[in-house]
Amino acid sequence: MFKRVLIANRGEIALRVQRTCREMGIETVAVYSEADRNALHVRNADHAICIGPGPSAESYLAIEKIIQAARETGADAIHPGYGFLSENPEFVEACDAAGITFVGPPAAAMRALGGKISGRRLMEEAGVPIVPGANDIALDDMDTARREAERIGFPLLVKASSGGGGRGIRLVQTAADLENAMRASASEAATSFKDATIFLEKYVSPARHIEVQIIADSHGNVRAFGERECSVQRRNQKLVEEAPSVAVTPEVRGRLCDAAIAAAKSCGYRNAGTVEFLMDRDGNFYFLEVNARLQVEHPVSELVYGGVDLVAMQLRVAAGEPVPDPDAPLNPVGWAIECRINGEDPFNNFIPSLGLVDFLQLPGGPGVRFDTMLFEGLDIPVFYDSLLGKLIVWAEDRERAIERMKRALRDLIVSGPMTNQAFHLALMDHPDFRSGDIYTSWLEANFTMPDLPEEDPRLETALIAGGLAAGIIAGAAAEGTARPTGLTRWVRSARTMARRGIRVEGGTSGWRRGSASR
Amino acid sequence: MATRQRFQVGGANHSVQVDESSGQILVRIDDGEAFEVDATTSGVPGLFSIIRDGVPTQAYVTREGKALRVVVDGRVFILGPVGAAGRQRGAAGGLSDPPGSLSAPLAGVVVDIRVKEGEAFEARQTLVVVEAMKMQNEVQAPMAGTVKRISAVLGARVEKGDVVVEYEPAEE
Repeated sequence: MFKRVLIANRGEIALRVQRTCREMGIETVAVYSEADRNALHVRNADHAICIGPGPSAESYLAIEKIIQAARETGADAIHPGYGFLSENPEFVEACDAAGITFVGPPAAAMRALGGKISGRRLMEEAGVPIVPGANDIALDDMDTARREAERIGFPLLVKASSGGGGRGIRLVQTAADLENAMRASASEAATSFKDATIFLEKYVSPARHIEVQIIADSHGNVRAFGERECSVQRRNQKLVEEAPSVAVTPEVRGRLCDAAIAAAKSCGYRNAGTVEFLMDRDGNFYFLEVNARLQVEHPVSELVYGGVDLVAMQLRVAAGEPVPDPDAPLNPVGWAIECRINGEDPFNNFIPSLGLVDFLQLPGGPGVRFDTMLFEGLDIPVFYDSLLGKLIVWAEDRERAIERMKRALRDLIVSGPMTNQAFHLALMDHPDFRSGDIYTSWLEANFTMPDLPEEDPRLETALIAGGLAAGIIAGAAAEGTARPTGLTRWVRSARTMARRGIRVEGGTSGWRRGSASR
Repeated sequence: MATRQRFQVGGANHSVQVDESSGQILVRIDDGEAFEVDATTSGVPGLFSIIRDGVPTQAYVTREGKALRVVVDGRVFILGPVGAAGRQRGAAGGLSDPPGSLSAPLAGVVVDIRVKEGEAFEARQTLVVVEAMKMQNEVQAPMAGTVKRISAVLGARVEKGDVVVEYEPAEE
C-alpha cells in the first residue's frame, strides 16, 4: 500500500480522500492555491504545499507544479479527485514519467473514451447499446448526411466528437435545418475543441440520466455497484442524485451492469469510473459516455451498497490489489439521496453567492452525511465552482429518504453566502419528484421556484432578534459608562462577551485578521 | 429602560420596542400587544435563542453595512434603517440600480471592463464583467448614459453592491 498520497484537488473531495487515507494509515499531501490558504483540506493534511495563485490554470491545473510538489514531499501516489486534472491523460503520463502512481485509469483508456466517435465505435464492438446515429458524416457530403438523418429520424442531434459541457450540440427538428446545424456545430467545435469532426445521434427525449458505478482492477475483474439516477439537472449540471432509480427493475439493473462492465473491459479500464446512459420511457438504455474518475455523487452508491468506501477501493486497486467480492449481490439496500448545496441565490436566478461564512449549524442524526468544505470563518474564494457541500441521506425506502432529506435541509444553517437549500426543499415536495417522474429536461421545463411568503411567521422572530441585537450593539458602544445593574442575565452575558472582544459582528469586514484568504 | 428600533424590511417599515425594566424582556412589534420573551445569546456571537409562550425559535444576526442580516429557519431578512436613501445592500444591483451609478450584483473578480471614461453607452449595454465561481456575469447598464468614472479595477475583487461605474444618465 502507498505510504504518502498527494491529493491534487481542493474543497470537499480533498477532505473526503484525506479521511479514507487517514483510516488506512496513509499520510496525505495537500496542495493549495494562495486563495485556499485557510481551507480545511490544508489544515487536515500531513503535508501542505502551496502551488500558486488563485486562478486554477496557475495552481490546480498546473501539471508541473503538482508533480514537483509530489517529488518534494516524497508522495508515491496522486489522487486527482474530480474535475481539474482528473481526466487529463497528459497528467497521467506525467505521473507515469515521474514514477508516481496515478489513482485512476491509464492514459490510453482515457484517450480511447475521450473522443465521442471513438467511444461509440468501441462500445458498438463491445455490444454495449449506443444511441442510434451516424459516425461518418461530413459537410462536404450532404447527400450521405441527409440519407443517414432520414434513417435515424427527426428530431436528432448534431454533436461534436470532441465536445463537452453542452458545446457543439445542435438540435435538428426537420431535414431543412440539417445543413445549417451541421455547419454551426462544426464551427463551434473547431473553435472550442480544435476538432471540427461531427456526428449525428437520435434525440432521445424525454430521457433519464442513469449511470453505473464500476471499479476495475489490474487482474481483469470489474465490479459494478448498481445505478444512480441523476435526472434533476439545470444547464447540464446535476443537482440531485439518488440510488437506486425508480425506473430500474432488478432485471434492467442486471443488463445495465453487464453493459457497464463490458464497456470497461473494452478499453482496458482500471480504477473507479462511471458509465453514463440515457434511458427512455420504455426502459431502453443507450451508452452516453464514461466519466473516467470518481464522481461527485459517489456517496449515494456507497450508502446503498453496505457502506463500501469507494475511495479505499480506488487506492487498493491502484496499489495492485484485486477488487473485493466481484460477485457480491447486485441489488441495493435502502435508498440514498444527495443534494448538492451550492453557493447561489435561488430567489435571484441562481446567481453565484459567496462571502464569509459567519455562522454554520451542521445537520446530523441517523442516516445523514454532510461532505463539506464549510467551516465558520471560511471566506469562500471566487475562483472555483459553487459546490459548498453534499448533503446525503440514507433511509429504508425512497419516501423516508425524502422526508429525512427535508429534515436535514432544515437542520443545515449557513449564514453568509446564500445557498440553494430553499430550492431543494421545494423540489423534495414537488409531486413529479415525489412520484419519480423526472427526466433531464424536467427541471428547466416544469419547475419554478415558489415565491417567498409575504406573511411569514419567521419575520417576527427576525424582528425580535434584530431589536435585541440592536440593543446589544448600542450597549457595547456605550460600554463602560454605567454599571450594568438591573440588566437581565442575558444582556449582562452579552456585554461581558462584548468586553472580551466578541460581539455582534459586521459581515465580511468583521472577523478578518490579515488578508491571506483573498 | 425601553428601547425602540425601526427597521425597513422588504420595503415595509416595522418597529420593535424592547422593555427590560421589569427584569423580563417585554417586546412590542408594530404597536401591537406587548409580549414576554426569554432570550439568550450563547458563546456564538449573534446567535439568539428566543422562547415565546413555550415555543423556541432561533435567529442568527450579523451586521451588513448599516443593516442587520437575520437568518431564521433558512430565510434571510435584511433589517435596514428606515428612510435610508438609495438601496440597501442585498438589492439586486446592475439593471435594478438607481440612475447615476452601476453596482456589482454579486461578489467576484472583475474580468472585463468594456467602456472607457467619457464613453457613451446604450441601455442594457454590458459595461463590466464580474466572474465568480467559474461563471461570467455581465453587469448591464439600466439606462443609456456617459461614463464619468470607472471604479472597477481589472483583476480586482468586488463585493456585492460595490459601485463599479458612475455615469451621467442620458437626456430623455
